[in-house]
Amino acid sequence: MPHYTELNIGPVHPSIHGIFNFKLILNEEIIQDVKVTLGFLHRNAEKLSELNLYADNIIFFDRMNYIDAMNMELCYLMSVEKITGIEPPERAQWIRMIMVELNRLAARLVGMGSLGLDLGMLTPFFHAFKEREKIQRIFTEASGGRQEVNYFSIGGVYQDFTEKIINDIRNFIDQFKKNLEDMYNMFIHSEIFWQRNQGIGIIEPELAFDYGVTGPAIRASGIPYDVRKDAPYLFYDKVNFDIPISHQKDNFGRFMIKVEEMRQSIRIIEQSLDKINDGPFFNPQGKKSLMLRIKGNGEAFSRVESDAGEFGVYVKGDNTTKPYRVHARSPGLRNLSLLPVISKGLMIADFIAVVGGLDPVVGEVDR
Amino acid sequence: MYKIVSDEKDKVGMRVITVDKTDLIEAMTDFKNKGYYLTCLNGNDMKDHLEVIYFLHNFDTNDYFAVKTSTNDEHLPSLTKLFKVAEWDEREQYDLMGIIFDGHDDLRRIFLPDEWVGHPLRKDYDLKKVQYVNMDSEGNEHVSFDEKEGS
Amino acid sequence: MMKTGELGVKTTTLEKALEWGRSNSLWPLTMGLACCAIEMMAMQASDVDISRFGSEIFRNSPRQSDLMIVAGTTNKRMAPRVKRIYEEMPYPKYVIAMGVCVIQGGPYVDGYSVVMGVDKVIPVDVYVPGCPPTPQALTYGIITLQKKIRNETDR
Repeated sequence: MPHYTELNIGPVHPSIHGIFNFKLILNEEIIQDVKVTLGFLHRNAEKLSELNLYADNIIFFDRMNYIDAMNMELCYLMSVEKITGIEPPERAQWIRMIMVELNRLAARLVGMGSLGLDLGMLTPFFHAFKEREKIQRIFTEASGGRQEVNYFSIGGVYQDFTEKIINDIRNFIDQFKKNLEDMYNMFIHSEIFWQRNQGIGIIEPELAFDYGVTGPAIRASGIPYDVRKDAPYLFYDKVNFDIPISHQKDNFGRFMIKVEEMRQSIRIIEQSLDKINDGPFFNPQGKKSLMLRIKGNGEAFSRVESDAGEFGVYVKGDNTTKPYRVHARSPGLRNLSLLPVISKGLMIADFIAVVGGLDPVVGEVDR
Repeated sequence: MYKIVSDEKDKVGMRVITVDKTDLIEAMTDFKNKGYYLTCLNGNDMKDHLEVIYFLHNFDTNDYFAVKTSTNDEHLPSLTKLFKVAEWDEREQYDLMGIIFDGHDDLRRIFLPDEWVGHPLRKDYDLKKVQYVNMDSEGNEHVSFDEKEGS
Repeated sequence: MMKTGELGVKTTTLEKALEWGRSNSLWPLTMGLACCAIEMMAMQASDVDISRFGSEIFRNSPRQSDLMIVAGTTNKRMAPRVKRIYEEMPYPKYVIAMGVCVIQGGPYVDGYSVVMGVDKVIPVDVYVPGCPPTPQALTYGIITLQKKIRNETDR
């Protein structure tokens, strides 16, 4: 008769970034089962979106995946622009693409830093946040916001890119290439990091399909699925970039995918900066004075590749100024639902590493 | 054989087909055999009935489309036997929208405490009736309408 | 005190000395709940560097810390847990409410599941508004708290 122990982790725990509650059922130190409790950051964003104007709802999406705010805004606006019929001009699309990729870099930096913290490596955290701070400065220059930027608007962006912002981004990218490699070496030359990440949290492709897992987690299982390539939005079909895949299927593979995608993001930003054209940066139909009168009709579901995976927003309009229903497809929820399956038979310390590698952001899981 | 009631496109250009509630399991089994996986599901409160939209995706052909079905009595068959995604997504829709999925093994609330009254995403949910949550020393949550008994 | 090189002596009361020590060695508890948690991490990281003001040691256990920075939306399920963690902290203890969600509900004020301010649950010493506040704003909040501990008025 085996002896089982119950161990509570969370909601507030130093190694679980985000407020989840995990109840581990342990046999000695081997995990037999994990019970996940959610809802500690349920902020009724979907209900509030029904009570507010189309343009006002952008702030709730900013705060869903709060480290990857631009992607969240973009996805909501892609749906809203379809049902209101206000299409953004070409320059706005390029600006959005540069900002989205910059935010992806910032989000990955937070992910890298906190994965290091979870595994007891303090140094990469400081380097990652130093780089992230430079991205935040570019965001502040463009939008006035640091993290929850609220930069995109219906039919464009709030402010045009100036010469200074473009120069800032170029300068940032130039020095970031080297700093990223430095940071990567910090992880990769650490024997402990290898040993703690390899062979844990293995996700087989069939399991990933069944649980709806997307993003770096599915690409680490050898499936080259990326919304940017498979259903291109913005101008992702006009730039060259690669989708890295790994056949390791484990936590280490997911980390490698994330780093390689940062390099690809740099490629996308560089090409976009060369290709950005002059012209209007917003559609006059969506300007601020008309915001109260924007009406939407019909339903639309659009999806983007966010930091954690495929993020989708469903918006239904009933010909009024407020949405009838808004629903967000959260990639973090799917990644987390797989956790009880992949963490069977692991030690507690490995479990922490798996959660850090899956990198769920509680704001988007609970909404 | 299931019957497709209507076949249209949404504003993005995604195909949306409508099937009857009774045909749902049969249709989904068919799509599963064709290589489709459920990615997301979403409930709408249409005031006189509830409708649920299932988003399906085929990783081989890269085809993405939606299946719509509706119910008048809050009950729908559960898809947990076919797709594992449905386990948490159906719990979410039960929690916030109040759709009861028959055949789901573990249909509990996922975000709100178990004692919560009402389903907030319903159009007739009264936001003025504020509910307060409290926790006892054992970690059990209690919900009440009295401000003094919680926060 | 002038830096003359000589050994200086300053007379003070024991209370004042304790307050001085307390204010310059605040140990915050990591109570990152939502978006603001990232800005709290940024405050701790290299660019802003809170350790200049004597509170770089973020403790993970409530029993070792004396400052709780409630960073992020507190919803109705989380509020009793925040209260319980607060009760586990030893005296003297201080609370900083970071961000408008924690102050009065913020953008979620019309909803059903967010507490209208964490001060309904635990007493708050310093409020730092912003959504999220910048790391600099939070640093200012901590300095304000230090002044409050030393009984200095901010004039």
